Amino acid sequence: MGKPEVKGKIKKALDNQVLRGALGKFGDTYIEARAKAYEGYDFEALRSKVAERKAYAASHLEEMLDRFEKAAAERGAKVYRAAGAEDAKRYIVEVAARNGVKNIVKSKSMASEEIHLNQALAAAGCDVQETDLGEWIIQLAHQRPSHMVLPAIHMTKEQVAEVFTDNLQRPNDPEIAALVKTARLELRKKFLQADMGISGANMAIAETGTLVMLTNEGNARLTSTLPRVHVFLVGLEKLIPNFEDALYVLQTLPRSATAQQLTSYVTMITGPTPAYYPDGSVQDKEFHIVIMDNGRRQMYADDKFKKSFQCIRCASCLNVCPIYQLVGGHVYGHIYTGGIGAILTAFLHSEEDAKDVQSLCLQCGKCAEVCPGQLDIPEMILEIRNRIGDKKKLPFTQKFALDVVSNRRLFHSLLRVASKAQKPLSQGHGFIRHLPLFLSGLTEQKSLPEIADVPFRDLFKNVKQEVPSPKGKIAFYAGCLIDFVYPRIGEAVIKTLNAKGYEVTFPEGQSCCGAPASYMGDRENARKSAVLNLEALHAEAVDYVVTACPTCTHALKDRFAELVAGDPVWAPRAAELSRKSRDFSQLLSELGSDPPEPKGKPGKRKVTYHDSCHLKRKAGVFLEPRQHMQNIEGLELVEMKESDSCCGFGGSYSIKFPELSAPILERKLKNIEASGAEVVAVDCPGCLMQIAGGLDKKGSKIIVKHTAELITDEALTENRKENDLRQNKC
Amino acid sequence: MEDYYQSFRVKLEGVSGECYRVATAAEGIELATHVLQSKGVKSVALAGFFLSEAGGLASKLAQAGITVHTENLRAAAPEADAGITIGRWAIAETGTIVQTATDVDERLCSTLPPLHLVLLSTDALVPTLAEALKRIHSSPEIPGFVGFITGPSRTSDIERVLTIGVHGPEQFIAVFVEGEVE
Repeated sequence: MGKPEVKGKIKKALDNQVLRGALGKFGDTYIEARAKAYEGYDFEALRSKVAERKAYAASHLEEMLDRFEKAAAERGAKVYRAAGAEDAKRYIVEVAARNGVKNIVKSKSMASEEIHLNQALAAAGCDVQETDLGEWIIQLAHQRPSHMVLPAIHMTKEQVAEVFTDNLQRPNDPEIAALVKTARLELRKKFLQADMGISGANMAIAETGTLVMLTNEGNARLTSTLPRVHVFLVGLEKLIPNFEDALYVLQTLPRSATAQQLTSYVTMITGPTPAYYPDGSVQDKEFHIVIMDNGRRQMYADDKFKKSFQCIRCASCLNVCPIYQLVGGHVYGHIYTGGIGAILTAFLHSEEDAKDVQSLCLQCGKCAEVCPGQLDIPEMILEIRNRIGDKKKLPFTQKFALDVVSNRRLFHSLLRVASKAQKPLSQGHGFIRHLPLFLSGLTEQKSLPEIADVPFRDLFKNVKQEVPSPKGKIAFYAGCLIDFVYPRIGEAVIKTLNAKGYEVTFPEGQSCCGAPASYMGDRENARKSAVLNLEALHAEAVDYVVTACPTCTHALKDRFAELVAGDPVWAPRAAELSRKSRDFSQLLSELGSDPPEPKGKPGKRKVTYHDSCHLKRKAGVFLEPRQHMQNIEGLELVEMKESDSCCGFGGSYSIKFPELSAPILERKLKNIEASGAEVVAVDCPGCLMQIAGGLDKKGSKIIVKHTAELITDEALTENRKENDLRQNKC
Repeated sequence: MEDYYQSFRVKLEGVSGECYRVATAAEGIELATHVLQSKGVKSVALAGFFLSEAGGLASKLAQAGITVHTENLRAAAPEADAGITIGRWAIAETGTIVQTATDVDERLCSTLPPLHLVLLSTDALVPTLAEALKRIHSSPEIPGFVGFITGPSRTSDIERVLTIGVHGPEQFIAVFVEGEVE
């Protein structure tokens, strides 16, 4: 699957109003419903239990398997360990053949989709019927599930009615209750005549040999009750150590998956139970458990992906993903969709299959925040992206651009040239509203800012710092956007820190933090940037290193250390830099002495705060900037809806996928306008560029400012007027 | 116990289940019969307990003109308007009934008919899901089939619209009796 194919699929999905409506409706209500379902429960505590118990099982896998097998066998189950897909299919087909099975009912099993079990059974002459309503619709329509929990979320009732009409050869009205009733009647016949049931499980308890299934429809109960043969197909990652550990999954899975306290049914099966045989006798059923590896052990052996065993397949990572909300599951191209899908696909299918899927990730981190298994999905996706980059090398244009960026002198002189060359495009009003030719997509939804006449590195030399007896020294790391587009933010940072009694230095040799390379999968250039900056910043000589861009902060704090890990020279220096690096808002709070009482009062100028993804979710900073707003006399903080949802910038993402970035920005702008604020405060120059560009394009009067600017401007009313004018103009 | 019951009732009603409480087994039979009658139930499938003989449930239902099946349930249960079984525990935290139904007839009666009525003792109430798991675990062995039931069968698979009653019962009724049920 090449890139043009992904682009085509994205376009198809975006043009599909039905899909947009269904996904949008779900995405809108999910976040609140989930929060309500967790009311009175400590999500953080629960998810650390889930993660700990599942990690324990994974790290004692052989012991868990032995315990499970022994316990299940003692109760009469036949346990089979399948190494791969072929192995598992062969075993199950043989069980069917040996027992003279003709008709099979399945309650939901993603593992069976993973190995295309239905096809194998059909080839052996069995009639295989999915019974989960969504799965059944998908089966009749010959499609693939687009969501792990809601497989047919991409279809309307009209489409479902059409599928039913075609398959059942009688008319079906597009009325949901009637369609559900039809499914009940049709599948009931199948249940009653089935000789064999196939089920997946949400948990396999090692201590007792028990399988646990969570369902709402009741199909798993029927599958466990009617047929005389029952086969479970379970992935290795479903093992948990002890019976009572089931509690943590029971408390999180329904809440995270569908915002329910508990699913309508939880079914626990331990060994074979009696069933009716065709001759009317009641005997224990033929009962098999297939525990399947199929790439899972390999995934666990890989340090960066161990945690995938902590996944409970709730799909909340899809439900909060801004990209999934726009395009749905089919763009992802495989069985497992969304963020976690990209990771599972890489291991359970192939890295090649995951190549384009992973590129859809915006790196906003929303999924990591809600994951009940504590998986850092964006980091795993980035690792896949970098591994692909390591092997394959990027396309020439991308590689060339990144090579330029990691070469400071070349990059900076090009930016200086661009500053002059852009004049005809910006026409002196500070924004570039249209770009010619193939670049036009970039300015369709937002204006781009002009590159500053004088970069911050030149401006700095003339900044007067009056700090009589400095408390200490802080190095300022500007990052590309502040250095070359928004030097005014740099000025504000210095002014604010001077007022706290610190002298600020600007280490000359600093250059791009390497984020573009990191996020595009070019580890080589990312490492070059890391080394360049470690040398230039010389963290050993200062008290703090401050940035006013959260993506740069993340690079300085975490990414550099990863990139130079194990290097005797650079690793210690990266550790020192990490220890001293702070984001602006965070450092300001640490330096203290803000007035204890918030000064903001109703009736003042309204400001709303947009949380940048990296500041909130990588640095955990979101209270501090709000405190700064509240400490400013004359400002009133009003919260916008979804303040911590991504603005759609995502660095190079908005260039690579402008068609996805644009609707995410649109949603952000709507929320900003609905807040009634006159000013949007941000802590990230990337968000500032994206949001200010979007507002400019709409002709909005709302102003966007970096927290640092807001603090310095509001302190001096004169300053504020002047800067507002400047902002409105540019 | 009162708190447990109130919590249970609120939670179960919150997911479209019905909940009643009476003082004696006789009253429980009376109430169950009345409720089934009022819902137009003409036939029931009964399994897994002795109320039919000891408490006279079967005869009471028959008196009310309802056909009662206690045998040959593989054929009878799919056709019955209602199934009646006994609950083992009830979880106040979530409004959940726990059934231990290794017996196939009990499973048939609770999964196939469109209405499922569960009789159970108020003594069966436990505060939390955690406590219920503890109780199950402390059985001499984990029962072959343990079913947690929280309201009727439901789906949201078409357009995310909640629809009650797919494969399982579309009506779920819990009747609590003070003291012993059987």
